[in-house]
Amino acid sequence: MRLKYIQLLVMNLLLVGSMIAQVPIPVKDQETPIALKGGTIHTGTGQVIENGVIAFDKGKITYVGAAAGFNLSGYTNVDVAGQHVYPGFILPNTAVGLEEVSSVGAMMDVNETGDYNQNVRAQIAYNTDSEFIPTFRYNGVLIAEATPGSGIISGNSSVMKMEGWNWEDATFKADVAMHINWPGKNRRSFDFNTFSFEYGPNPTYEKTILELTDIFQDAVSYGKLASKEKNLKMEAMQSLFNGDKLMVIHAEQAKSVVEAVKFGQEMGVKRMAVASGTELLLIADFLKENNIPVIVPSAHDTPPRTDDDYDLPYKLASLLSAKGVSVSLSNSGMLGFGRNLPFYAGTAVAHGMTKEDALKLITMNPAKMLGISDRLGSLENGKDATFFVSKGDALDMRSNDLSHAFIDGRDVTLDGRQQYLFKKYADKYGQSK
Amino acid sequence: MKKYLLLLIAVAFSFYGFSQETFPVNGVKDNRANAVAITNATIHVNATNVVQNGTMLIRNGKIEAVGAGIAIPAGYTAINMNGTHVYPSFIDLYSSYGIPRPERRGRGGFGGAEQIQSETKGAYNGNEAIKSEYNAYSEFTKDEKEGAALIKNGFGAVLSQRMDGLARGTSTFVTLGKGSDNEVTLNEKAANHFSFDKGSSRQSYPGSAMGYIALLRQTYEDAKWYDAQSPKPFKDMSLDAWNANRNLPQIFDASGWLTALRADKVGDEFGVQYVIKGGGDEYQRMAEVKKMNASMIIPVNFPAAYDVDDPWDAQRVSLSDMKHWELAPANLSYLEKNGINFTITSFNNSNFLENLRKSVEYGLSKEAALNALTVNPAKLIKMDGRIGTLEKGKVANFIVTSGDVFDADTKMYENWIQGDKNIISDRNTPDYAGKYDLNVEGKSYALTVSGDPGSHSAEIAVNDSTKTAVTLKIEGQVVNVNFKPEGADFTYRLSGWINSDGFKGQGLNAKGSWISWTASKTANVQRDNKKKGNESKETPSLGDIIYPFTAYGSKELPKQQTILIKNATVWTNESDGVLQNTDVLLKDGKIAKIGKNLSDKADRVIDATGKHVTAGVIDEHSHLGASAINDVATNSSMVRIGDVVTSEDVGVYRALAGGVTALQILHGSANPIGGQSALIKLRWGQAPEEMKIAGADGYIKFALGENVKRSRSTNSIRYPLTRMGVEQVYVDAFTNGREYEKEWKAYNALSSKEKAKTTAPRKDLVNETMVEILNGKRFISCHSYVQSEINMLMKVAEQFGFKINTFTHILEGYKVADIMAEHGVGASTFSDWWNYKWEVRYAIPYNAALMHRAGVVTAVNSDSEETIRRLNQEAGKIVKYGGVTEEEALKMVTLNPATLLHLNNRMGSIKVGKDADVVVWTENPLSVYTKADKTIVDGIVYFDLEKDLEHRAYIDQERARLIEKMKGVKKSGGRFARRGSAEQVEFHCEDVLGEESDLAKY
Repeated sequence: MRLKYIQLLVMNLLLVGSMIAQVPIPVKDQETPIALKGGTIHTGTGQVIENGVIAFDKGKITYVGAAAGFNLSGYTNVDVAGQHVYPGFILPNTAVGLEEVSSVGAMMDVNETGDYNQNVRAQIAYNTDSEFIPTFRYNGVLIAEATPGSGIISGNSSVMKMEGWNWEDATFKADVAMHINWPGKNRRSFDFNTFSFEYGPNPTYEKTILELTDIFQDAVSYGKLASKEKNLKMEAMQSLFNGDKLMVIHAEQAKSVVEAVKFGQEMGVKRMAVASGTELLLIADFLKENNIPVIVPSAHDTPPRTDDDYDLPYKLASLLSAKGVSVSLSNSGMLGFGRNLPFYAGTAVAHGMTKEDALKLITMNPAKMLGISDRLGSLENGKDATFFVSKGDALDMRSNDLSHAFIDGRDVTLDGRQQYLFKKYADKYGQSK
Repeated sequence: MKKYLLLLIAVAFSFYGFSQETFPVNGVKDNRANAVAITNATIHVNATNVVQNGTMLIRNGKIEAVGAGIAIPAGYTAINMNGTHVYPSFIDLYSSYGIPRPERRGRGGFGGAEQIQSETKGAYNGNEAIKSEYNAYSEFTKDEKEGAALIKNGFGAVLSQRMDGLARGTSTFVTLGKGSDNEVTLNEKAANHFSFDKGSSRQSYPGSAMGYIALLRQTYEDAKWYDAQSPKPFKDMSLDAWNANRNLPQIFDASGWLTALRADKVGDEFGVQYVIKGGGDEYQRMAEVKKMNASMIIPVNFPAAYDVDDPWDAQRVSLSDMKHWELAPANLSYLEKNGINFTITSFNNSNFLENLRKSVEYGLSKEAALNALTVNPAKLIKMDGRIGTLEKGKVANFIVTSGDVFDADTKMYENWIQGDKNIISDRNTPDYAGKYDLNVEGKSYALTVSGDPGSHSAEIAVNDSTKTAVTLKIEGQVVNVNFKPEGADFTYRLSGWINSDGFKGQGLNAKGSWISWTASKTANVQRDNKKKGNESKETPSLGDIIYPFTAYGSKELPKQQTILIKNATVWTNESDGVLQNTDVLLKDGKIAKIGKNLSDKADRVIDATGKHVTAGVIDEHSHLGASAINDVATNSSMVRIGDVVTSEDVGVYRALAGGVTALQILHGSANPIGGQSALIKLRWGQAPEEMKIAGADGYIKFALGENVKRSRSTNSIRYPLTRMGVEQVYVDAFTNGREYEKEWKAYNALSSKEKAKTTAPRKDLVNETMVEILNGKRFISCHSYVQSEINMLMKVAEQFGFKINTFTHILEGYKVADIMAEHGVGASTFSDWWNYKWEVRYAIPYNAALMHRAGVVTAVNSDSEETIRRLNQEAGKIVKYGGVTEEEALKMVTLNPATLLHLNNRMGSIKVGKDADVVVWTENPLSVYTKADKTIVDGIVYFDLEKDLEHRAYIDQERARLIEKMKGVKKSGGRFARRGSAEQVEFHCEDVLGEESDLAKY
């Protein structure tokens, strides 16, 4: 059993009044300086420090480096020899906190009605009591971009911490990105005769682009008008033009991506990213030239076309990175798979990347893309003490085994209801050691 | 060809000469003999007997004589057909000519209220899809518009059916003549028809290809049982008709080689050899198609070239679609070469003649082509005594052509049906092509008339390089010429008539005055008399046929070899544990030796230094490799995945790339009692039947919980809607099974004398299966999530004295692991799936570890074409969640699923004598960093990282070649369609045919 005794205590206290385990209680702010020593530190910038020390105080990292020469006095010392230290993994473009049981409508707060929801904000719907959150951080995912879906403009995502009493506590940065579902130039339709999908031009493509053009032109104009009636949708778009807010373009087809990026540039959108799949390979040069970071779907996916290489989704991040594109990994399919983010990076290692480069796909790259790399994404002095310790290689499911996770220096509880149920039944069957 | 259709004027020589004696006449009787002598034609009596300068006498719609030098009796209208060819008109056995279209309504399924009972009025079958009582003759009436399209393609008679239902009833064989329905009908009940399309039926069951097969099989049984009784236990006019029509030719409508094989198999079971209507893709599995021994009706609908100009868009067109585009025109030549008896249909084909001739260009012999359109179809419906050749006494159905009917430039002039002429293009249109001296107002112009008769064009040569356009219209005997003389600012508008040496007439000049004009022929145009079609065109060179016919298929299938794997880390799954630096010898498809420094002779030595060797991964729960997954009856135990296995699913190759060697294709979870499983090995490239594991035990899918109680369909009325009802479904089914068994036992105990006097009980496919389960001859794998229902099913089984074999998914198994261990049931679970629907809220990734430690044989499964590619990693997660040892975790995707499938004596470990189903991994098999380097099934290397690169190169080259070829077609003015293609549909537990549920599929 891996349960730390303190956590166990917390858990037991928690269970006194209830048969159903609740989401673990958020822990208090860091009270004393802590130094972890002896671990292998993966900084997220490509550097690996063997037998290192990471020290932090008041939620900020104060030292990352070799153990030699660091004075541990004044710090609560924790020996993590033989273990690995990583920056908290960052999961972009996810419904965590907004979605609970996807088949139950009442438990879904992901998809607002209507095509244009520039004003909608994921932050305030983020449920800190979501059952998913403890399972994410159990594997090292400590930060996520809670993102709305549906419509053509879905709304605004926020960067959230995997811990908090309420959404205010849990917010790392609100309204970081506006998400646009760019229509496909071609449209897929199902043909019953061949029982397969067929492609043809999308008849509504032009109409949607005209609508988007109107909206963006009006937003630019709105920003400049001296007097105007207040418009929530137009207000929400202003930060796209000054670089505060990222515009994330969701588009499957390469042609759509090119047109969407050109559109954004023409409209004066300062920062853009693209969420797409294997068709990104067709336009890697374009993405690099225009400095557009990309979010790719789950590496554990099937190739979209029969003729594709069997390992195409596995090696997608690696191939794009080799072309000089900044890649962030994300999760697609079931939300519960978000906890497998580390293994998507591991898959990239199996298919062409070094471990430290693959680590960037879930740390530094998403941090830069989301505009939060000043505080997150790597283990460096002055950054937030949001990181974790694993007994083994965290990118491999065989060895991903966290002993600690810190969010803003808080030693958060790792075990959740799933671990509680494990213990409950292991005890029942006399399997516990 | 369209203009010929427009030209198709139904000109009859006379009124119909042989009107019926029994019909009333309004006026004076006007019967005429319609006696005609066709003379001087090249008459193709049949494909081999050709009469030069022949004469054919016809009278009253029949042929009286054919031959050379036949005297023309007095009174016969002699028609000089000099220079033409005369053939028997074609016969199409696949048509719905003159039959009203059935109303096609949407399918039932998830979402709406199910229709459980038949709503057909009358004493007919309990399933709407069985329409065997239908007779096409009851609704047939001739249809000139539909007929015209067939006539211009050379057809003179068709077998007309109503294309509706699995059992469609009988067809009527009719000519396309203009006579009354009575006159054109040659055989009102010519054949009996079946299909795999339930057509207008709204009844929920059957909802899938396997349900169609099951219903047909049950109906064959029912018909036999019903027939044996007198008086009948109840009236079923569908069964009456089914039995009455069983001696007619039986024709099955399949849509391609895969469904053809399935239809043939149904026929074999009930002693019926169907004539099978194919799909035009038979060349892709010629050997299997040949083995059916069936006559076939084959379409020549070839796919149009794809738009491949834009390489980004062209990516969407699959290799298999491109290859089919190239090879489809050669299909008939493959059928001929393989000695298959076939006919050709023009159904839904707007390019029939063009494609027929293309087939000849691609290697089909003209003789076989003509037979396929005349004698063969006539014989198949036993009408060859009356039609199909130009012999005395036969129906006077023939076509007149300008040359060999299979040559590209040959014109179809006439199609005579029952002695009545239909003109397709006028054989006698005069040819006015030539050079003329056009004289108008004293001025001479050099007029040239060119083009084919009936579509002439004209121009005036001013000098060597300058020409003046002329509008020339010739209609019958009158002519109209308009032209603007060079340099003039006015147009001559001339009208006139045909003259002995050209044209002559009057017209208007610039001033609007009437003037005379003449055009005298000065020279004939030298026509290119060499008929292009007669040149022997070379058969186009074509790409390879690959098996399966999709990307990653091979021209030659890999062969079994003696393989020596050297110096590997071998995970034996046996008491030896993990052996270092060990060799494994695979021979004759078995594991022959395990040891150090083996030096046996081998076809292939694999250096596995630094690599790991394990038994092949086995997936207890997959939906790969089947054309359908769910049927919808509450108890669907009569349907069998084994009936719908497909060899063409690229998911199989991808699973091999993940080290998978065998899997169970489970029925879906739409019903408490689902269909029977198929257990296959991933023998990529082999035919569907070859993939099945011979001698494997029979399995069946059961399911519990939200899916079977239709939780996401608020309109559902199908029983059960609660877990309470689910239990009763089981108790009811097993109770009925016991009663059924008792009934049969009693019957079987009778003496043969008594048996002869007693009707055997009805063979019921559902109860047959229930009895198999009760008697331990078929084993349950039950989709399950919540502890209450898991416990319930075990108790039901115990009540009936048998055991559940496997709970699959079993996400709350950890809550009842002790009860499961006591019952002796195994578990096949997901590693870390949870919370995608309400009933999996308490799923935990520690489930496998807890059950395993409680003594339950535990496997990790996929239920996903993605997860199956990494089941080894899913096992790795069990190390993480619950701390199971790596060896035990590996067993969860190898030995343990083999045990659950009763294959552990043959698979699941590296042990001498077991099947050579082995994987060589690049690293520790449970690691995220490992890859399957080689996946070996039966000692055959089906996946190899190096070979995979060759496949990729081949795909790239073939695609490039085919794209270039398609571009050629576009430039040369061939047909061209904008269409992308072919993403396969993945099936999950809850998918009903054609429905994609977006969330919570599992």
